[in-house]
Amino acid sequence: MKRLDLQSNLAMTVTITGFSMFFATLMMGYAIYRSSSTFWPPMGFSKVSLTIPSISTFLILLSSWFCYQIKGNVKAHDFKKARLNLNLTLVLGFSFMVAQSFFWSELKASGLYVDSGIFASILYAYTWIHAAHVLAGILSLVYLSIMLKPSDDRMLIKAVNVEKFWHFLGAVWLMMFLTLFVY
Amino acid sequence: MSGGFNEIHPEPTTFISKYIISFDHKVIAKQFLWYGILFLGIGGIMALLIRWTLAYPGVPFPILGPLLFPDSAGVVPPDTYAMLFTMHGTIMIFYAITPILIGAFGNYCIPLMIGARDMAFPMLNMLSFWFAAASALVVLISLCTPLGSAAGGWTSYPTLSTMIGSPGSGQTLWCLAIFLLGISSTMGAVNYVTTVITLRAPGMGYFDMPLTVWGLWLTAILNAIFVPVLGAGVMLLMMDRVMGTTFFLAGASATAGTGDPVLFQHVFWIFGHPEVYILILPAWGIVSDLLSFFSRKPAFGAKATALSMTAVSILSTLVYGHHMFTTQMSPLLTQSFMTLTMTISIPSAIFFANWLGTIWKGSIRFDSPMLFSLGVVFVFGLGGLTGLHLGTVTTDLYLHDTYFVVGHFHYTMAASVLLGGYAGIYFWFPKMFGRMMNETLAKIHFWGTMIPLNGIFFGMLMVGYGGMHRRIYNPFVYESLQRLIPINMMITWSAILMGAFQIIFVWNFLMSLKKGPKASNNPWEVGTLEWTIPSPPVHHNYDVIPVVKCGPHEFGNPNLKNGRDFQYQTEELVRG
Ligand code: HEM
Ligand SMILES: [Cu+2]
Repeated sequence: MKRLDLQSNLAMTVTITGFSMFFATLMMGYAIYRSSSTFWPPMGFSKVSLTIPSISTFLILLSSWFCYQIKGNVKAHDFKKARLNLNLTLVLGFSFMVAQSFFWSELKASGLYVDSGIFASILYAYTWIHAAHVLAGILSLVYLSIMLKPSDDRMLIKAVNVEKFWHFLGAVWLMMFLTLFVY
Repeated sequence: MSGGFNEIHPEPTTFISKYIISFDHKVIAKQFLWYGILFLGIGGIMALLIRWTLAYPGVPFPILGPLLFPDSAGVVPPDTYAMLFTMHGTIMIFYAITPILIGAFGNYCIPLMIGARDMAFPMLNMLSFWFAAASALVVLISLCTPLGSAAGGWTSYPTLSTMIGSPGSGQTLWCLAIFLLGISSTMGAVNYVTTVITLRAPGMGYFDMPLTVWGLWLTAILNAIFVPVLGAGVMLLMMDRVMGTTFFLAGASATAGTGDPVLFQHVFWIFGHPEVYILILPAWGIVSDLLSFFSRKPAFGAKATALSMTAVSILSTLVYGHHMFTTQMSPLLTQSFMTLTMTISIPSAIFFANWLGTIWKGSIRFDSPMLFSLGVVFVFGLGGLTGLHLGTVTTDLYLHDTYFVVGHFHYTMAASVLLGGYAGIYFWFPKMFGRMMNETLAKIHFWGTMIPLNGIFFGMLMVGYGGMHRRIYNPFVYESLQRLIPINMMITWSAILMGAFQIIFVWNFLMSLKKGPKASNNPWEVGTLEWTIPSPPVHHNYDVIPVVKCGPHEFGNPNLKNGRDFQYQTEELVRG
């Protein structure tokens, strides 16, 4: 059993390395656009309101907190609590998606469309790409929720791997929030 | 940790589960092999179309021409020419060489050579193949779209590849295909990396692995890290084309704030330079092993070879800027990239010297796998040397985007990888299919490939040095280049000759598959694990997981008394 766990663990590590390179490339692009333009946001644009992105950040970070609890619950064989934390993670993850869609409508309402130049390109495309990954994260949480049963002796590694991926998505969002919105 | 035991999926019973949706690494390897050979043919015909146009501009392509281009009476039209070199490059790299070297040999060799029953994740492996198949389908569809497939070069630089340079859906489908293939490669990489780390047979340390496995493993690591970089690039390019973003559009085409076409070049080559090593590393590994196997001598400095391949992999991540010397980089940067590029010569020279050390005074058996391996040594040497001219800023400013570059990268990546791939196919064919290939035809195939190949690619170096640019429909509208027409005709006829000799390979492959003499367990008398089991191996490879007691290259040990000149890896090293 030990070796199977090691395999899953390694596989998840390599996978996250790949995803990190994907997002690092996007962020490198942003750094170059930003550092090579005289004004940011470019002339004629203004910073977007921080309200909704802050709510999104709060939601996804909180969800990471609940997600973090799951493996402890599994270890302690407290599957009731594990399911509670899993459901809370799911609800918060879902609310994050809702908040993001409000964010996109707000952008549109303020007259900023996808094709309004590089500033809008980054705001839309990066949040879309991230959201697509969050959807994948939500699917993996759903998978975990279906699999969650005491009889499975590989439950722990599944919980750990899904948790890693979920934290990774939170970390990427935090980085986007700080660099795309706050700074 | 080398646990050594892995659970095996049950033996398939239906046709579909056995040959189509197979979880078996040996079957998936064969799927990738057929896939790669098919695309090698398509890419090869495209190469001939390009070459014909360059030797006989305005003359209809014989036989196929009128069928393919009825509107121009069989002459390759200019826009089609751009599509042809783009798709030739794309197909050869991503759909021919990658599936053969990484997909087929990676899948076939890794589990067998490390003594495992399958990959760590057989289902992921199956998915990896089917993602690659979906990607191939998208490419084939893109060839049939009204404006044709992508035509912005295999590098797809904007603005050639944006809606302005390439209207029509071909380029969009190209992006989608590359993205799908990237998913497939990443899945494969996750599997290979994990398999090598966790499933080595008991007793097999990293330096007891055959160098083939080393090469494939390093390739997988580079793949996992750098394929997602290209993924991000083509994703943004696709958004520019479909959603109206302006990441790579500058000037009037970008309405407000401006994108950056050159950024794509950076992203492409951050991936692209490691990619050329991704392609060559498996071939290096295979050749390092085969040279030892057929010289009946231990691989000279095998550990140093493995470590220098690792060093090259690491350095390959730091040199991409040498593709962009002419993009007005700061001289500080160009010179840094030049210096880093030159440092790659050091580890390369180490394993190259090791290759020569391996064959030095060996009792060489000139079987076809060995001939092809020696061919790799020769062409890779030439390719590597011409790289120095391109890595040096001052000479590159002249040589950039000429046929010298085309000659260089064909020597390093096309010729070496192609010959390395053939070496591997001739070598493992008996294990894969349980039959021997015809050795005489194989030798004819070797010389019929090797000689014209040098005519093609050395000719390319020459016309490039003479100033002929690449990717030009008719270079001879420039009067100064007209004196290069004879060499171009030589290149083209060499290419036709080489193409013709590939028919011998296909014939040999197909006939041997049906009628070849039955192969013994170990026709080449080699000691690595896959030769201890029947050809072809049973479904679960090893009835008992082998225990490894010595390295993969134990040849010519004078203490051996059993009439063999080699030892199996499962045998205790014989000492005096
Ligand atoms: C062996 C027969 C081959 C011949 C005769 C051949 C010939 C050519 C020719 C004529 C070009 C066009 C160069 C230009 O106009 O810029 C070209 C481009 C290219 N070839 Fe090959 N090639 C062969 C095999 C391969 C293989 C096996 C590979 C894969 C590793 C490969 C990779 C490429 C690439 C990447 C390009 C650049 C495409 C571009 O400009 O975007 N070729 N080849
Ligand atoms: Cu390079």
